[in-house]
Amino acid sequence: MNRREYLMRATGGFAGLALADLMAESPLSEKRPHFPVKAKHCVFLFMNGGPSQVDTFDPKPALKKYHGMPYHGDAKVGSNGRAVGHLMQSPFEFKKHGQSGLEISSLFPHTAMHADDLCVIRSMHADTAAHASGCLQMNTGSIFIGKPCLGSWLNYGLGTANQNLPGFVVMTDPRGGPIGSASNWTAGYMPAAYQGTLFRSGGSPLLDLATPEGTSDRTQRRSLDLLKSLNEEHLKRHPEETELMARIESYELAYRMQTEAMSVVDLDSEDAATREMYGLNDKRTADFGRKCLITRKLIEKGVRFIQLYSGGGHIEDTWDGHNDCITNHTLHAGETDQPIAALIADLKRTGLWEETLLVWGGEFGRTPTSEGVGKPGRDHDWHGFSMWMAGAGVKGGQAIGATDELGFKAIEDRCHVSDLHATILHLMGVDHSRLSYLHQGLNQRLTGVEDRRVITKVLA
Amino acid sequence: MKDIKPLLKERCISCHGTVKQKGDLRLDAGALIRPDVHQDLLERVASSEEDERMPPEGKRLSAEQIEMLRQWIAAGALFPRDEVIPKKPSEHWSFQPVQSPPLAASAFTHPIDAFVFGKREAAPKANPLALLRRIHLDLTGLPPTIQEQERFAKSGDMNAVINDLLTRPEYGERWARHWLDVVRYADSNGYERDAEKPFVWRYRDYVIESLNQDKPFDRFVLEQLAGDELPDRSVSSVIATGFLRLGHWDDEPADPETDRYDQLDDIVSTTGQAFLGLTIGCARCHDHKFEPLATRDYYSLVAVFNPLDRPTKGRKELTIPVDGAEVYAWSEPSAKAPETHVLVRGSPTRFGDLVEPAVPAILVKQQPQFPSGEKTTQRRLGLAQWIASEQNPLTARVIVNRVWQQHFGQGLVTTANDFGLMGATPAQPELLDWLAHWFMHDARWSLKRLHHLILTSRAWQMSKSSDSLMRYRRLEVEAIRDSMLAVSGQLNPKRFGPAMKPGIPKAALEANTDKEKVWQPSDEREASRRSIYAFIKRGLVIPMLETLDLADTVSSCPQRQVTTVAPQALSLFNGEFVNQQAQHFAARLKREAGDDPEKQITLAWKLALSREPSHDELTKMRAFLQEQPLEQACRVILNLNEFVYPE
Repeated sequence: MNRREYLMRATGGFAGLALADLMAESPLSEKRPHFPVKAKHCVFLFMNGGPSQVDTFDPKPALKKYHGMPYHGDAKVGSNGRAVGHLMQSPFEFKKHGQSGLEISSLFPHTAMHADDLCVIRSMHADTAAHASGCLQMNTGSIFIGKPCLGSWLNYGLGTANQNLPGFVVMTDPRGGPIGSASNWTAGYMPAAYQGTLFRSGGSPLLDLATPEGTSDRTQRRSLDLLKSLNEEHLKRHPEETELMARIESYELAYRMQTEAMSVVDLDSEDAATREMYGLNDKRTADFGRKCLITRKLIEKGVRFIQLYSGGGHIEDTWDGHNDCITNHTLHAGETDQPIAALIADLKRTGLWEETLLVWGGEFGRTPTSEGVGKPGRDHDWHGFSMWMAGAGVKGGQAIGATDELGFKAIEDRCHVSDLHATILHLMGVDHSRLSYLHQGLNQRLTGVEDRRVITKVLA
Repeated sequence: MKDIKPLLKERCISCHGTVKQKGDLRLDAGALIRPDVHQDLLERVASSEEDERMPPEGKRLSAEQIEMLRQWIAAGALFPRDEVIPKKPSEHWSFQPVQSPPLAASAFTHPIDAFVFGKREAAPKANPLALLRRIHLDLTGLPPTIQEQERFAKSGDMNAVINDLLTRPEYGERWARHWLDVVRYADSNGYERDAEKPFVWRYRDYVIESLNQDKPFDRFVLEQLAGDELPDRSVSSVIATGFLRLGHWDDEPADPETDRYDQLDDIVSTTGQAFLGLTIGCARCHDHKFEPLATRDYYSLVAVFNPLDRPTKGRKELTIPVDGAEVYAWSEPSAKAPETHVLVRGSPTRFGDLVEPAVPAILVKQQPQFPSGEKTTQRRLGLAQWIASEQNPLTARVIVNRVWQQHFGQGLVTTANDFGLMGATPAQPELLDWLAHWFMHDARWSLKRLHHLILTSRAWQMSKSSDSLMRYRRLEVEAIRDSMLAVSGQLNPKRFGPAMKPGIPKAALEANTDKEKVWQPSDEREASRRSIYAFIKRGLVIPMLETLDLADTVSSCPQRQVTTVAPQALSLFNGEFVNQQAQHFAARLKREAGDDPEKQITLAWKLALSREPSHDELTKMRAFLQEQPLEQACRVILNLNEFVYPE
């Protein structure tokens, strides 16, 4: 019996048609990975605006020595037309943490407690000085709009375990989205089914999830039942059309999604200690803490890729500390440090740590020079910056690669943004050179046409 | 051969295969590997001299791989008997002149049916009213009104209906959108500021008007590529060249040197796909791996557009004045063309050979003459004249196929933007050629005559079934939205002009950098215009359109995706727009059918589905209305599968 025959027979008694068979039609059904999976879920903690490497994970004692002196290197410093100041030491103290002695600045006292889990990459580099193209590159591998995002590629390549929730969830900052907005979670030339879904941490988490105002739950259910019943009559006239069947099921899926998604944002059942751990009782950390706690619940539910933005809107509302990097980073690190540490601890507690990959970083870093003289701001630095990975398949407690003496440019073990993507895909069980999508006559890849590599030193 | 083929494919065929045959050697089929090269082959792959060794790039073959080759040759270099030998690219079907095949022998007199059915019988025609709904949605994107249904029920004259619909302005509003998909139309540039393209809507209006006037397609091509260079240049023909400026544009490019070439690439790639069905953009950095298109071909096309200048002042885009009108287009300031070089590996700093304007070599025996002009270089005119000529093997085939695809849900060639070696082979090559030939020579490039021909065929009018050519296909989101407005009685027929902005839920704006300012919605009346007038913002696509598979806003979209996912159901069941239309729909039913539920339901069915409800449907609806308000019933009707999947 072939598929069509099977479906034709099955529709004779539609109710009996197994959901699994129907979902085989879904673009989001689970697919076989290329090789053994280390991580089933990926959480991308996007520090929007560009955190400064020399103030976070890349200590540069030389900056103390050269503090206040002009930079004499040959590379272009800073972004379009902004004033270049003098070298500026970090006001934040670096200390060794954990058994590994990984050096982390005083901005992250909570994350530092998990130092032995972090693999810091100090030699990241990107291709652009602008936020728009930088965010695009970090999310899609390309500085141009219209390309699918990392989360789209993962859902295209692997599907997602829970059809009742989106497979690619994005939570933005209450101050606004990243520059480029939806271009950062678009599916580009892929079907819309692979695009990131915005998820709000309170109220109704998904767009149009809530029953319309003035419609009772009972009416909603009765209406859906009527729709289903009429559609099934129609289906009898076109029993071979699987799209029609899938569309009937999509309404039921939407209904289940309502229950499922609402239960994810309902944090009342979490105990007091957990709420305290995530910082829900502190105004400063409450928003990001809520998102991190929701992230844990989304992982529990099987969501493939979750992206959290810290910072939104412009300049000082993000990590984009042009005017005063000290105040800026104190604020944004302060909002996120404790929740991120709590997420790590909580994942370990629930056993999900073994199957979850965490990635932390922004679209680029910041210059070791100040922006303008006598002003504690820092400009964009895409020649070298730091990110960290942790969790499933990652060898923690190490810093790999290095920037130059001043922390300006990556010089050792240089890791391009696309190398990071290749590594993330690898840990999720996907070969970046094989995962492709035919578009405009070319097998397009997340990592593009250049030779890119998995950063093997990251791997456990 | 099982292990040998993949090896040859991976390491040898890019130079010694179907597309390229360096040293006159082909390794893409066992039958083509002549015994006299066997020894040489083994020596070259095993050579210790760098200059001798094959393959010249990448890692050398491993000892195991060389041994495998040696054993295969020693065993007689066997290959499967039924091996298909790929044709030379120059023999590829779509590069051959369009033929005029004789009509197939058939009892059917309609040429399309003769080809489609031959001596077979055809399935019966669809139910007349279902067919009426199908034809209205197909040509105008709107369901037939009650009066139209009644008129047709009396006359039964389908031919009159087709002729009538083809003269309506709604035809252009529906079919222009199909063309806008192909030309990557959007109202903004994308990127950080995502600024509005000033007056770009005039290009959208130009497309609608051109279709409604039944402008011959060859002229339509000429105007979009070179409307400013035509001897009978007009404001409208210059507006047409807005085609060249529809692409995304970063006003703060990461690398200003490549930026110029990125913009030219957008034009060359889109031109290749839209008019020729060729993915020429892949040849920017290296010769196309799968198509007979070299970087030289690519940069020869870049040379055609290189004289163009994007009018800007810093980050602000400027329009060009044409007879007092502001036109969104490029300008060509001089008749003297800048030099164009091949860029080695696409790098803007590595100049290769100097190139002159030319068309892809594989398509012509002799290059067309490029004219020279006094005000502009006329290079685009030269290219456009070649594209729009009857000698071009691709142009007519590509557009005929696009029209067929839109009518049948699937093209004769299923890869509408790719007629190259990697594209699909046509399901019915004789039919495609007959249509293309007829379209150029008999119909004189008239799209309306092509529509008429297709729509009067039995192949199109028969009921859908698993063996019919008609694919059961969901309406595009614009037609869904417009149909809802039509059924609810709210459709605002206002035509043309600046785009309108339907409301976007606040929740969707929160994720924007400038959430307060990014979207100023139009009032409800303005927002109730047809969807083709909705503002397409690259950084913030209207959620309902996006979730229901709107075309990619960045690159040419050959065919809409049809995905079926839960967020669509959320949007259509819980979203504000549909619930508003359900309210209006209910009010209309009460107004026009009074309080009797049976009359209300019957009217609703006629308006939404162009038929009367069945007994069973009536029973279900009556039971529902006994406990639920009419608005709820209306919401259900607007969500029916039958509403979005026409029979």
